Amino acid sequence: MIEFLAATIRIATPLALAALGGILSERAGVFAVGLEGMMLAGAFAATVGAWTTGAAGVGIVLALLGGAAIGLAVAFVAVRFRADNMVTGLAVNILSLGLTSYLMRVLSGGAQPVSMHLSPLAPWPIPILSDIPALGPLLFAHPPLTYLTVLGCLGLTLFLGRTQIGLTLRATGENPEAVFAAGANPLMMRMLAVIACGAIAGLGGAVLSLQQVGTFTDGMTSGRGYLALAALIVGRWTPWGAAAACLVFGAAEAFELRLQGFGAPVSSYVIQMAPYLIALAVLAGMGRSSKLPAAIGQALQRDH
Amino acid sequence: MSDAAPSLSFATFLQGRRIRLTPGGLFGRICVALLLSMVCAAVLIGLSGHNPFAAFAAIAQGAMGSEHQIGASLNRCTPYLLAGVGVALCFRAGVINIGAEGQIAIGGAGAAAAAFAFADAPPIVAVVAALLGGALAGAAWAGIATAIHLGRRVHEVLATLLLNFVALLLVQQLLAGPLGQFGAGFLQSPLMPRSAWLPRLAGFDAHPGFLIAILAAAAFSFVLWRTPFGFALRVAGSSRLAGAYAGFSLARLTWGAMLIAGALAGLAGGIEVLGVHRRLIEGFSLGFGFKAVTVALLGAIEPLAVTPAALFIGLLESGSLAMQRQIGVPSALITVIEGLTMLFVLAATAGRK
Amino acid sequence: MSPLLQMRGIVRRFGDLCANDNIDLDVQPGEILGLLGENGSGKSTLMKVLFGMLRADSGSIAFKGKLLDGHTPAEAMAAGIAMIHQHFMLIDAMTVTENVMLGWPEAGRVLRTKEISSRVREASKRFGLYLDPDAQVGALPLGRRQRVEILKAILRNAELLILDEPTSNLAPAEVADLLVILRRLRAERKGIVFITHKLPEVLDVCDNVVVLRLGRVVGRAPVAGASRGQLAEMMIGRDVSAPREVDAAKPPGQARLALRDFSAPGLLPLTFEVRAGEILGVAGVDGNGQFELVESLSGLLPARGGVLELDGRDITRSTVAARMNLGLAYMPADRGQKALVKGMSIAENVMLRDSRRPPYARGPLLTPARAAAKTRALMADYDIRARGPDSIVARLSGGNQQKIVVARELDRGPAVLIAHQAAWGLDPGATRFVLDRMIALRDRGAAIVYVSSELEEVLAISDRVAVMAGGGFAGVMPRSALDMRQIGLWMAGRAA
Repeated sequence: MIEFLAATIRIATPLALAALGGILSERAGVFAVGLEGMMLAGAFAATVGAWTTGAAGVGIVLALLGGAAIGLAVAFVAVRFRADNMVTGLAVNILSLGLTSYLMRVLSGGAQPVSMHLSPLAPWPIPILSDIPALGPLLFAHPPLTYLTVLGCLGLTLFLGRTQIGLTLRATGENPEAVFAAGANPLMMRMLAVIACGAIAGLGGAVLSLQQVGTFTDGMTSGRGYLALAALIVGRWTPWGAAAACLVFGAAEAFELRLQGFGAPVSSYVIQMAPYLIALAVLAGMGRSSKLPAAIGQALQRDH
Repeated sequence: MSDAAPSLSFATFLQGRRIRLTPGGLFGRICVALLLSMVCAAVLIGLSGHNPFAAFAAIAQGAMGSEHQIGASLNRCTPYLLAGVGVALCFRAGVINIGAEGQIAIGGAGAAAAAFAFADAPPIVAVVAALLGGALAGAAWAGIATAIHLGRRVHEVLATLLLNFVALLLVQQLLAGPLGQFGAGFLQSPLMPRSAWLPRLAGFDAHPGFLIAILAAAAFSFVLWRTPFGFALRVAGSSRLAGAYAGFSLARLTWGAMLIAGALAGLAGGIEVLGVHRRLIEGFSLGFGFKAVTVALLGAIEPLAVTPAALFIGLLESGSLAMQRQIGVPSALITVIEGLTMLFVLAATAGRK
Repeated sequence: MSPLLQMRGIVRRFGDLCANDNIDLDVQPGEILGLLGENGSGKSTLMKVLFGMLRADSGSIAFKGKLLDGHTPAEAMAAGIAMIHQHFMLIDAMTVTENVMLGWPEAGRVLRTKEISSRVREASKRFGLYLDPDAQVGALPLGRRQRVEILKAILRNAELLILDEPTSNLAPAEVADLLVILRRLRAERKGIVFITHKLPEVLDVCDNVVVLRLGRVVGRAPVAGASRGQLAEMMIGRDVSAPREVDAAKPPGQARLALRDFSAPGLLPLTFEVRAGEILGVAGVDGNGQFELVESLSGLLPARGGVLELDGRDITRSTVAARMNLGLAYMPADRGQKALVKGMSIAENVMLRDSRRPPYARGPLLTPARAAAKTRALMADYDIRARGPDSIVARLSGGNQQKIVVARELDRGPAVLIAHQAAWGLDPGATRFVLDRMIALRDRGAAIVYVSSELEEVLAISDRVAVMAGGGFAGVMPRSALDMRQIGLWMAGRAA
């Protein structure tokens, strides 16, 4: 049981970080379909950074930058040039997929991807707390980026709710014209939000490559960005809600891993559908009640 | 307007009518976008220490160097063109259909199932039944996404995207079960019955799928520009308010576009299975959905113009292995070009008159 | 006493149109100035110039003795001018306090929500705004939302408040409350510009009134000595008091369009008939239910209750297409997004609502050549000037665009025509043309509902005139017994 819960948390962590980034983007009024590409870029940059320097810290910084670079592309095309948000997100996902596998091979100087193996980030057990039976190992013996995710939820909640910039960001997703009338710059706000989204989602990718797998493989995010997108909608654009949704998706996947171990009668393929079907079912169940930021996806007017 | 379409920028893009061959027009913008992405690709090749022109030459040679290679290239284009035409129709109707990948996968499974069911039929019947099975299966899968989208107001991008993953797993499940070849070591079906194989054109490796795809592109271009249904699609895609005012049922138009797109994607899946692999293979449609979107945008969401766009992407991909082999530039470069092209086309065409 | 605001010789042109022609305007501290005028008289332009949203071509603005020139809205705000737009600049999903804090440096980088919230409560009490700082703005009635805007202005220490049509979306009780609030602001020595069409409010709360017509100041008076009648005449002008001679309409035939307690969201239950050969003009200030009326008649907004009949057939729940087939034509006010697809050609826009019928289609196919021929004929008939049927509508002038809509809807030979702002943005010649075509349609036995906020047009064309206010009809009078003063009063308020 503990193992199952631990696996749930492990699987949910990269999703949750990406979802946190996505919340920034969508709250500012830009659909976050590009999360997948941002995560992938982050995972790649983190691996390269950590592998070439041997310092995980460098990897993490590069992950932020790599994700932000993809965010920058979205910001320019979707916000500045007012292209369709959704399709722009898909475009950067393709770009990121191609660029990472291209560079993997260029780094090796041949047709085979370079192999970069790292030892995954070790857990940082929190003294005393981690000694609590059952609860300790489950909650207080995680690798660093997992704690960072929890702090991220807290930080984002405070940022959105308690700061002038956070308030302006949310207002930009609801009514950019009013933000303009209040003397702020909705265009800049959106661009920065999308870039920050990229950086945070990039960190989510780093969790995957640095903390869990220990290397980078082509397209290793394999749809996690899209699940993160579903999670932030299911979580109604709030950090804790999105994190909870990620835990549910994580649990579905962890459950599948357990079942496979037991040789359950249900085919593993059917169980692997669970996160996607749960996401669809919850989205469909929310139906009309889900309340998008009012101005999401809408291009800004010329004079803003 | 509180009930305005959510994506205003796309409407402006959609208003570009038939392509006009002027530098400032849609066609010119797309050419500039294409050129930019090729320049970026050249820079990337240069950074990897290779000569970009040699690389491009190797691509051209690999894609069109021999009859055999031309045939392989045409086969490569076929699914992109078929699915791309469907995606373009959806775009015209203001629906963003990202589900081609799943629709192709399910279409392939449907075609395989039909091929086995009609194994003893004469070849013509078997092929037609199998392709029809593919188209129906693809349309059905698109129908599920449409029902979720219209019935429960889930954004069509999410509905189609999430169903892609489900579709791929469903095909895997089928291959692990009823459609699978036992003991093959990996997930694939037995070889299709010979009666359902698409013939290969003499001398080429090409199957007739590309002709079917071009016919489909021409047919749906005709539908789009010369029938009341196509007119309604274009009006609703340009302005949902105008569509409602004109008396069109927006839900019915969405259904129409999605079912057509699903059927075309399913047909593409069937052609892949019957013409290229001759069996159903796990993940044979991986990445096809996004390529359909790329091709549709590059073709200015005009079915006829999607043809050269699909040809371009198909040739690039088909030649990329030769480039990798001869020059040493990784073939993943093609995916980069696709992504860049989409971004540049979007930036160059959005929000402009 | 030096004036708070001094505007001198303001001129602003839009192309040939002179929206502001040498306008002077003063506001004193503690003065409520009524700025009166019909749609298009130049009030909004003048205020946008003041607030820095538009530049004047010439003239000067002095605020508290300092010249304002080339200023942005942000600078105007910083100087102490607040503008309360007709469409509120509020975030519906946020609380009152959050809306107040948005973009306000005093709220702090890290928001001092508690402190601001108590300041909101305090100011709300002092000015009688009755706002709960924690209420979500979107859940408030419109009157309260407007008070959030006023509150924002007060807390930012604005000394001059511009209120653009502040009462147009308010229920009568809310209007009364607003006037009380304005008086309190006056007592605090704030200057207020109150832009409106509505006379009772002007008489009730303003100290002085300036009347604009066609970009010029046509009257300036202290309210104390003015009467409703004088003001109404000043605002509407004499041009309309002598409407064009129209052949006395033949006695109208049987009812073609009939409403019985027909209502829709935003539209009070209405009962009236329009007969064959009759034009019912619907006048009134924009936003008083006209949009809801025309959209629910045409089937684009669902009816809430009652019965709607066309030639005796119940169409209360019919689709847009079914109504069209029964002979209902509709010219919406939203030309750019609804009535036309601007990126398409003239021919395609002509066939927009008839694309399944000859000559535009035959069986399952469109017939472009016939459609082009038909379009060419209509272009000649309706004087639509463009290179040809393939010209893109977006490149045509507003007048030519509107003629496409008129041609399309009239060519069908409708039984009933619903026209909303059908002559909007047209020059006088084109307006005359459109109106004449409608009169011809009427003479062929159609029933027409002509809705416009341009009173002149309505009077020029109608056999009967109804005035909309507050989502319903304030009153109806036949053309034969036209009483301009009464119409002005109906437009100005709800009471009949």
